[in-house]
Amino acid sequence: MWKYEKRLQYPINIKKKDLKMAKVILTQYGGANSELAAALRYLNQRYTMPDNRGKALLTDIGTEELAHIEMICTMVYQLTKDASIEELKAAGLEGSYAEHGLDVYPSNADGVPFTVTYFASTGDPLANLSENMAAEQKARAVYENLIDLATDPDVIEPLLWLRQREIVHFNRFKELYEYYEKEFNMKPQPRQIEN
Amino acid sequence: MNNYDYLLNNYNRAFSMNDFNMLNQSDLLPKQNMNMPQNSASMNMQNPNFNLYTPQEAYDKGNLFANLYKQYKNYRPATLRANNERERMFLEFSRMAFAAHELNLFLDNYPDNSSMLRLFHDYSNRAEMLKEEYEKKYGPLTVSSSNDTTPFQWVKESWPWEGEF
Repeated sequence: MWKYEKRLQYPINIKKKDLKMAKVILTQYGGANSELAAALRYLNQRYTMPDNRGKALLTDIGTEELAHIEMICTMVYQLTKDASIEELKAAGLEGSYAEHGLDVYPSNADGVPFTVTYFASTGDPLANLSENMAAEQKARAVYENLIDLATDPDVIEPLLWLRQREIVHFNRFKELYEYYEKEFNMKPQPRQIEN
Repeated sequence: MNNYDYLLNNYNRAFSMNDFNMLNQSDLLPKQNMNMPQNSASMNMQNPNFNLYTPQEAYDKGNLFANLYKQYKNYRPATLRANNERERMFLEFSRMAFAAHELNLFLDNYPDNSSMLRLFHDYSNRAEMLKEEYEKKYGPLTVSSSNDTTPFQWVKESWPWEGEF
């Protein structure tokens, strides 16, 4: 089970409304390389990890990703708070407003809703961990693109922080991948049916 | 969390293409001289040279492990500062909790590393103490820390996305 702690993992206090920035940051909530995809990917894969290292790491990183979802949603919420209809239209968010009002809904920067097909799960720990390493690298690249687009330090700072987490997670997955490659270079097989 | 006095570093927004290309794949990998275990038998990392940031620096950077830290272009992380007692206590707890979490992830991969384990316990216990001190003065961070007064303290306090206490 999980316990909620009433705080952000890293503080966010955005004072300036910026709907165009909100629109692109939203992709880290509901896009292909989003925190939501990361959390579901790791928490989904953890059950069949071949040893307790993997079960622990996927549980703990998956849990941290839930806190990152909260950070991204907080950024989008603060960037769009009290937006007027004119401002929403000017940022190209009228479609989003029509469907969701000012709710933070998991979709990418173009409004395409989140889908679980954004992540994979193969039953093979090495394939799964490679997928996770790639996911961390892709999310890092997206954060860099977002930082390039941002101008407000209140926005840039949490993006820099989240980018750094991708780098740490990538390395943890890589260490585990290399360990498993030596220890468990075999796909766990389903139990044989005895006749 | 309100009114952090970020010591803003100068964000230099004019990048050359060279700057843009300076982050390459090899920069993201741990440096070879960090004595990362090369085989599974040595997953026990007891290297005294293993370089950790202080909880304060780690929290600002988003990374406890100096060998893993990679700056993006010339963006430097903000130095978080508290403006009042409440922010100070909150920030100290957040820093310690983050440092403990980083060691938690490390220990998932290297569960036999006794020196990192000792440090984890130290940070983890300190985080717990700082959390209790904060909650006593400013209200619950977890629902079980609510006191027995009405209205229910958990409901009364503000929520993290509201950018204020």
